[in-house]
Amino acid sequence: MEYVSPEGLRLDGRRPMEMRQIRGEIGVVDKADGSAVFEMGNTKVIAAVYGPREVPNRSQQMNDRALVRCEYTMANFSTGDRMRKPKGDRRSTEISLVIRQTMEACIMTHLMPRTQIDIFVQVLQADGGKSRCLIAAIGTRSACINAATLALSDAGIPMRDLVTSCSAGYLNSTPLLDLNYVEDSAGGADVTLGIMPKLDKVTLLQMDAKLPLDIFENVMQLAIEGCKAVATYIRQVLLENTKQLEYRRGT
Amino acid sequence: MKDLQLSLNQTQKVRLQRALEKLESLASRANSNASVTVADSIPVNYEDGLLKGHGTSEVNGEVVATVCGVVERVNKLVYVRSLRARYKPEVGDIIVGRVIEVAPKRWRVEINYSHDAVLMLSSMNLPDGIQRRRTALDELNMRSIFEENDVICAEVRGFQHDGLHLQARSQKYGKLGRGQLLTVPSYLVKRRKQHFHHLENYGIDLILGCNGFIWVGEHVEVTDDMLVDHKSQQHDTKADKNSISPEDQEKNYTTQQTRENICRTANAIRALSTLGFSITVEVIMETVDLSSSINVAIHEMLGAEFCVLVAEKEAVRRSMTKKK
Amino acid sequence: MVGLSIGEKHFIQGGIAQDIRSDGRKRLTPRPINVKTGVISQANGSARVRMGATDVIASVKAELGRPTALQPDKGKVFINVDCSPTAAPMFEGRGGEELSAELSVALRHCLLGGKSGSGAGIELSSLVVVEGKICWDLYIDGLVVSSDGNLLDALGAAIKAALSNTGIPRVNVAAGASGDEQPEVDVSDEEFLQFDTSKVPVIVTLTKVGKHYIVDATSEEESQMSSAVSISVNRQGHICGLTKRGGAGLDPSIILDMVSVAKTVSEQLINTLDSQIAAAEAGEDES
Repeated sequence: MEYVSPEGLRLDGRRPMEMRQIRGEIGVVDKADGSAVFEMGNTKVIAAVYGPREVPNRSQQMNDRALVRCEYTMANFSTGDRMRKPKGDRRSTEISLVIRQTMEACIMTHLMPRTQIDIFVQVLQADGGKSRCLIAAIGTRSACINAATLALSDAGIPMRDLVTSCSAGYLNSTPLLDLNYVEDSAGGADVTLGIMPKLDKVTLLQMDAKLPLDIFENVMQLAIEGCKAVATYIRQVLLENTKQLEYRRGT
Repeated sequence: MKDLQLSLNQTQKVRLQRALEKLESLASRANSNASVTVADSIPVNYEDGLLKGHGTSEVNGEVVATVCGVVERVNKLVYVRSLRARYKPEVGDIIVGRVIEVAPKRWRVEINYSHDAVLMLSSMNLPDGIQRRRTALDELNMRSIFEENDVICAEVRGFQHDGLHLQARSQKYGKLGRGQLLTVPSYLVKRRKQHFHHLENYGIDLILGCNGFIWVGEHVEVTDDMLVDHKSQQHDTKADKNSISPEDQEKNYTTQQTRENICRTANAIRALSTLGFSITVEVIMETVDLSSSINVAIHEMLGAEFCVLVAEKEAVRRSMTKKK
Repeated sequence: MVGLSIGEKHFIQGGIAQDIRSDGRKRLTPRPINVKTGVISQANGSARVRMGATDVIASVKAELGRPTALQPDKGKVFINVDCSPTAAPMFEGRGGEELSAELSVALRHCLLGGKSGSGAGIELSSLVVVEGKICWDLYIDGLVVSSDGNLLDALGAAIKAALSNTGIPRVNVAAGASGDEQPEVDVSDEEFLQFDTSKVPVIVTLTKVGKHYIVDATSEEESQMSSAVSISVNRQGHICGLTKRGGAGLDPSIILDMVSVAKTVSEQLINTLDSQIAAAEAGEDES
């Protein structure tokens, strides 16, 4: 199948280096300490942060840093075909773990010893037409991490950097940024990357399928560019939000 | 920004937008672009030494913000004042909290901080002002002072090895009786000289806790001789618990007028908090007056139209103070 | 769930007795309701409903299925609700299952009628494509994003809004199939049939606190309830379903009283909801 037309356009009309439309909004859940919605194309994710707060289960308390927990759930209606999934299936557990580890790396947990921070990520919509939910779940990882970053900043939790995430792939001998569902399920390589742009460090890297080393370098470079673009956008949203909060409050 | 969760019509949207723009223009002069987000570098002058405060860290010789907020500089100290975040206690703050556990010789209190605060039995004074002696009897009677879920008011005493300690060594502190507890983001409540307000015309007590918990309730007379008060309070709670008969309980209810005042004040605070305006007793009273002067029903104070009015009023108020 | 001090409890109960609730509402005044439709693009219909800090999403998905042998002339509707942990940390893991199950069952009672499918608020016979062979299965999913009381009414309103937002593709059945063969169908991508929602009921929950009952209780008020009766009423004023929750006993005469109050309240609710839905649909078309 042809994923990139001779004119250099992808199936959804994007250029190879073009991202899907992204949109972020802060403060969607009233009771949470921090919350945000993040959309990447058709993928739509809500993240809510509770804490830092007292650890309810004392045996999990850590004396030198905060306990970070994460739960990832997909709404029943989030995927194309409707499938009743038990909560806490292996796929969700794996993604919860990935999000938790990525966020934990950027939260300055040592500043909040003996506390707990909960990150709840709820997928409202996963890109994937009439897809199987498993594949659709993978494509939501980037959006989940971006939403969690926004929600954590909204909760005023100190972080080393804003982690942002984006994926890139390789199809028809062309590196493609931010794969949509059709491209993702085409069987080509798919690199999901999370970076801390300021520190210039990679915190999340997952890839399936095989790629020659020199091409991998290109694809990864493309994903890094994508992450940086997301970071610029997220920074804009946060700065606008901070300014609004400050001028509304007045002196 | 939080979309206000109100259904505004087109004209209301435009009016709100205009009011907010005015607020923005008023603020920008005072605070010129000191807002930062996580990982923004903060320009500093290294020559005269530097103290890095809260919300900053050093990366490759650069000072970098770790939270979103506003950069503040005090002499050599540079720190980021965060906005939306949990409460950060300072010694002497007056706070409102909820008791969540009665433990040996202490109460644990939820105050919107990252930990529960501790109020020791020994940090409570006896009614006549002598320090409480830790007798076994005292400990047994702790539940008669505060029990779980009680709303209390206290002062931040300081940090100790086992966490944040509170104290309630004055008559004005203690259990709060009838009324409602509101929670607003703590950055909206500023530290001031006075946090207790007795609004005499309305017969209500208003306590603006620094932690963002606000109490609006029926006025309770603080007597010097709290012994009597204490007893009557105890009697009160017992009566409530046993709830002798619904009729008796009904007689006991807050009067209609006071209740209206409490709800009106509470809704003024809710409206201000949705708009994200700083909450002081003056602004609350102005909002209350605005609502009664234009005859807005109490529950409509949470509606779109009133919020827009409050925003417009705030814009006028701030430009007035600016001129002065 | 909500811990309140004795003074606060007393204040809430007193407010309900005196007809001024904590946020200034009267006993029978609901909170303002905010409806947004078409929030989930992959669903056939969806809506998000906000009442105060309560925030729910409902989505409708239509799939072709076979009618059951017992009711060859009726389609099937499945209702399921989930509580997202974003609403409260206590819904984490399996924490929300009990509430989810309670809400799902109550919604089924209120909207779907009995096992025979008779008296259902949703017209099941309109879902049949070929009698006995093909029908539409409607999967209605609710999600609680943020919770501040009165979830059932909010979900009911969201489902009603989602159904009026639902387009069911037109199906062309190839002629010629006979006997037990499953006929071939062609699902149109362009032509959609609007779902008739005029008969879909709304749910009004009356929460009894002390001697009085209130509509649209917040979670603080719900913590003080002795019992609650949820009544679903359609535009014609017919009662489509009823559930009682909470342990305390109710006098039969009070229940009848509540039903007639629910009927009047439901009229206002249906009107507000209809105008909100119309506004939301118009807004969606614009953007």
